[in-house]
Amino acid sequence: MKKTLKMIFYSFLVLCIPAGFFIEHEHAVFFWHKIPSIDVVFGFLGAMLLIGGAWLLARLVRREEDFYD
Amino acid sequence: MIKTVPPAMLFILGALLIPLLKGKLKQAYLLVIPALAFLDILQLETGTAWVYHFLGYELVFCQVDRLSLVVGYIFTIIGFLALLYSLHVQEDGQHVAAFLYAGSSLGVVFAGDYFTLFAFWEVMAVSSVFLVWYQKEKRSLDAGFRYLIMHIIGGCSLLAGIIIYVVETGSIAVTHLGTGPADIFILIGFGLNAAFIPIHTWLPDAYPEGTVTGSVFMSVYTTKTGVYVLARCFAGMPLVAYMGGIMTVYGVLFALLQNDARRLLSYHIVSQVGYMVAGVGIGTELAINGGIAHVFNHILYKALLFMSMGSVLYMTGKRKLTEMGGLAKHMPVTALACVIASLSIAGAPGFNGYVSKGMIIGSAAEQHMPVLELMMVLAAVGTFLSFVKLSYFTFFAPNEEMKAKESPINMQLAMLLTAFLCIFIGVYPEALFRVLPFHPVLYHPYTPSHVIGTVQLFLLAGLAFMIAKDMLAPHQGTILDFDYFYRMGGRGIVWACVVPLSAFRSKLQTSSSRATDIITRIGRNPIMLLEIPAAYTYLRITQGLRYLGGYSSGETYNENLYRRPIGLGVLVAIIILFALALIYFIF
Repeated sequence: MKKTLKMIFYSFLVLCIPAGFFIEHEHAVFFWHKIPSIDVVFGFLGAMLLIGGAWLLARLVRREEDFYD
Repeated sequence: MIKTVPPAMLFILGALLIPLLKGKLKQAYLLVIPALAFLDILQLETGTAWVYHFLGYELVFCQVDRLSLVVGYIFTIIGFLALLYSLHVQEDGQHVAAFLYAGSSLGVVFAGDYFTLFAFWEVMAVSSVFLVWYQKEKRSLDAGFRYLIMHIIGGCSLLAGIIIYVVETGSIAVTHLGTGPADIFILIGFGLNAAFIPIHTWLPDAYPEGTVTGSVFMSVYTTKTGVYVLARCFAGMPLVAYMGGIMTVYGVLFALLQNDARRLLSYHIVSQVGYMVAGVGIGTELAINGGIAHVFNHILYKALLFMSMGSVLYMTGKRKLTEMGGLAKHMPVTALACVIASLSIAGAPGFNGYVSKGMIIGSAAEQHMPVLELMMVLAAVGTFLSFVKLSYFTFFAPNEEMKAKESPINMQLAMLLTAFLCIFIGVYPEALFRVLPFHPVLYHPYTPSHVIGTVQLFLLAGLAFMIAKDMLAPHQGTILDFDYFYRMGGRGIVWACVVPLSAFRSKLQTSSSRATDIITRIGRNPIMLLEIPAAYTYLRITQGLRYLGGYSSGETYNENLYRRPIGLGVLVAIIILFALALIYFIF
């Protein structure tokens, strides 16, 4: 079950990238709207940026459970 | 035809009857009132009604237009669903607080003047705090007080703004505002309820500490009335738009760090309200429609999320992600609700969040605001990550020790109905578009580029989650926010009162009581004032002479030595009175 789900996920992942090349943004305003499958880059880099950012932020703001008590 | 009444009245007067009813009748009553309020709103006609003259001003209880109607619809719909969710609650106080809270929020929505708006605004703050306090734990009590303090400060700012505004313009009608001093005070008051950074801390502080059912109500009304009044008074203000952008990213970033499930959801309220605030701030027809559509959708999926996490808390007593896992087997309906709500808030195609979020992001691009657009896209990725995390660690992460039963039937029913609405609007957005403020809505959510783009965004974010799952794993601990400064400031004030101010007070008290003492003594015998130096000199001289003469100073103190007959005091008083009378007659 878990394996099948993973297979489905990866196949979608592989298929979604070329799919972006067949369509066009209807209201392209900025230059990145014209790059095909740019959301792939946004998705991955954005997630990595946030995970890294959250990890760093945790170093700065995480204290013990009873900090305010 | 039956005359319509202000929907707020139905809830507020309706609250009074709750303690008198019992059992099934009470449960039916709790559901009938929001249903009646919804029917009442359906019957409202555009324009103003229920106008009263008060101190030379016009108080308007029912100002109806498309904007107030759409918010009124969703407030009553979710009122019904949240009450269905809380039918099993036995404490009348909770229901009364919820009714007053929902009623006053509707009062704000339909208020046509700032006085009425302010009055309902304050009732909202005071009634909602009881939904936190009914949790009856020390931490809820503390969080409730902090919540109340911040809302009172916000309320004071709003009142100050309103007073300046009324003095300047002479009008109290709710209208679009600008950037004058009055407007800034009002903006701060509204912004506190809309959880502007850095005055958002009351939200993630109090919402996770509320009762299981109370937090569902809280997730709905306060912030959304904030967005509503911003849409009415500050639409099209770039400052508001960028504040919204900051809120989206800030909320998501802090949500990723949370371990308490309901605190995680609370930070997502900050983030999602950021989208609405951004939409309102951009100010075009599409953006405001998007912002209000997001209010509508967010209320549904966020209430559903609070319902599902509340259901977990109610059945297991667990609130931390580090203690949960494997609940999907035991609580399938709750798990399903959480997954549907997560997909909705993340904005997956086919769910309601997708429609409204797309409208706001699209309008930011349309208005050439690239930074804002990118911030909102980044927040969308973060939201997806965060809800993959929440669903995974609550329901799917392996945990063999976890045992639980599914929640009561009324809770399940409420969750299923709310989940249905999330999907219904997702697949048939026209139903929502029809009631949005600007009609017709020229927006097509399901274009190939939108759908494929969103799917790409999420699949790759999912891949990132799988790679960096360990970095996102929940941890024990307190996460500091701006509340650190407020709490330390508060402690500083307490310290200043207890240590230096109190020392100063006691010093002042000692010296003033000494002064009083002297004055009393002198008042008792004013002649003493002259006698003391004389007696003292006499004493010193005689002592000196005795010493010189070789006498011992063994003579005991005689208190009668310095006493004079009372007649002397009376004489002095008569002389002073005579002198006063003389002065009075002469001058």
